[in-house]
Amino acid sequence: MNKDDYLKELTRLLRKLPKGERDDVVSDYHEHFIIGIEKGRSEEEIAKALGNPKTVAKQINAEYMVRKAEDKQSAGSIFEAILAAAGLGIFNLIFVAVPALIVVALILTLFAVGGVMIFGGILITLSYMFQPLIPFHLNLPPNQGILGIFEGILIGVGLTILGVGLVGGMAYLTRWLYGLAIRYLKYNIRLIEGRKGTKKS
Amino acid sequence: MYTVSDTMNTQFKKGVLELCVLVLLDRKDCYGYEMVEEISRNIFISEGTIYPLLKRLKTEGLVISYLKESQDGPPRKYYQITEFGKEKKEKLVAEWNEFAMGVSNLLYNRNVDMEGNCDE
Repeated sequence: MNKDDYLKELTRLLRKLPKGERDDVVSDYHEHFIIGIEKGRSEEEIAKALGNPKTVAKQINAEYMVRKAEDKQSAGSIFEAILAAAGLGIFNLIFVAVPALIVVALILTLFAVGGVMIFGGILITLSYMFQPLIPFHLNLPPNQGILGIFEGILIGVGLTILGVGLVGGMAYLTRWLYGLAIRYLKYNIRLIEGRKGTKKS
Repeated sequence: MYTVSDTMNTQFKKGVLELCVLVLLDRKDCYGYEMVEEISRNIFISEGTIYPLLKRLKTEGLVISYLKESQDGPPRKYYQITEFGKEKKEKLVAEWNEFAMGVSNLLYNRNVDMEGNCDE
C-alpha cells in the first residue's frame, strides 16, 4: 500500500468523524509519510510500519464515539459507543459486549416488571371498585363484603405505587449506569489489543 | 535491537506508551515521527498507534500541539506537555517504578525498597 492509498483508506474509515477532526488525524499520518520519505524509507515500508489503517481507524472511532456519548447522552449514542468499543478486538468484545448485554437485559426486565406492577395494580383496583356492580366479574376472589373490596383496592393502589417507585428508581439508576458505562468504556479502550505492526528491519 | 520482546502483551505496552510519550515531551517538544523513532529504538511498537494516543492526550488536556516551520519541507506538528500533563507524568513514573521494582524483586527473589535499601 502506498501513501495515497493508505491516506485515502484512512479517510474513508474515519468518515463518521466531523470533517475538521478527520482532517487533523489524516494530516498526522500524512506528515509521518513525508518525514519517513525524507529519511529514505519507501512508502510501502512506512505504510507497513504504521499498521493496518483499519486498526488505527477503529481506535480513533471508538474514542470519538465514547466522547460523543458523553457529550450527547442518548440511548443511540451509547449503543454506538459500545458497538465501536466491542469491535476493537476479541478482548474488548468479551469485556464490553457481555456486560453490556447483561446490564441492558436487567434494566429492561426491571422496567417491564415496574410496568406490569403499575398496570396490574390499576386493573386490580378497578376490578374491585366495579365488583359490586358486576358481581361475577372475571375470576376474582368471591365477594368478601365491603371490607374485602377495600382490601382489594388497597392492594391494587399499593401495587401501582410500588410500580411507579420501581420505574422511577430505575430511571435514576439507568442515568447513573450511563455515566459508569462511559467511564468503563474509556478504561476499556485504553486496554485495547492492537494488532501487531511489522518490525522495522 | 529491541530491549522488550515483541511477544510482550500489547495491552500492557499500550499503557506504557502513554508514559513514554509524556516522559519524552517533558524533556522537549517533539513531532510525532521523532517520538516514534525514539520509542522504537527501545520498545517494539506499531508506529501507527502513537497518533491515536497523542489525539487522546490532547483531548484530555495533557498535551497541546502547534505547527512549526522546518528547514526541509512543510511545517511540522509539534507536541508540548502541559502542567496537567507533567503532573500525570510524575504519577505514572511513580506507579511504574513501584511496579517494576515489585516485579524484579519477585523475579530475583530480592527485597529492595524504593530507597534502594537491600535486606537479603
